[in-house]
Amino acid sequence: MSNNILTQNDIQHVDYKDVDLLKQFINPHGRIMGRKKSGLTAKQQRAVEAAIKRARFMGLLPFIQK
Amino acid sequence: MMKTSDGVVDEEGMEMNETDAPETVLRIYEIGYQITPALKEEDLEKIVGGIRSVVEQAGGSFIAEGAPSMMKLAYPMPAREGEKNVEYDRGYFGWIKFEAKIEVAGTLEIALKQNANLFRYIVFQTVREDTRAKMKAPQLREVKRTEPLKAAPRRVEESAAPISEEQLAKAIEDITAE
Repeated sequence: MSNNILTQNDIQHVDYKDVDLLKQFINPHGRIMGRKKSGLTAKQQRAVEAAIKRARFMGLLPFIQK
Repeated sequence: MMKTSDGVVDEEGMEMNETDAPETVLRIYEIGYQITPALKEEDLEKIVGGIRSVVEQAGGSFIAEGAPSMMKLAYPMPAREGEKNVEYDRGYFGWIKFEAKIEVAGTLEIALKQNANLFRYIVFQTVREDTRAKMKAPQLREVKRTEPLKAAPRRVEESAAPISEEQLAKAIEDITAE
């Protein structure tokens, strides 16, 4: 039984506008979680990373949080 | 010269047929944009219409769209308003998903760059399906919270299943005996 959110909820695509979903994969400082912590597959991790970076650029997520 | 040029044309024609496929390939793109908060809500339609017309002129077809709505930015963004440097803490965020030829991405990029009403935009390739996750945030948190809680209902089930009427009667007896 995989422990990652994407597989559990059967999410095939990660959208950069899904801020609430992406927030599950950043720590309180706004940094992206590593694979050990997120439990994602390599493919999922890449998709999440790309989405978070797009969201950051568009001002939906912070680059850093104090 | 003519013969050779004809030959070249023929060859090109052949090549064209081969290269025709990638030229006519349609790709799915999504654009996201932040419109300056200085504008009024009535003017937003015009700006979005301007972006849409660029895609339409290039023969693109729209798949989905998110109307611009005011949102608070996660961090202040520097921008130029006329001749002044300003920092925005909010903006109208909207997005459009469309299918178009490959060249459209380039022309759109130029058009968006020249649009002074947008202080930030993004163009990228995506897929036709709706990529937005179906679940909601609170459900996500529930999922997280239920992980440690899973133990509790399981115990209930385990204890619930084997309880027979005899055991119940015993338990009642025990309680009443006390």
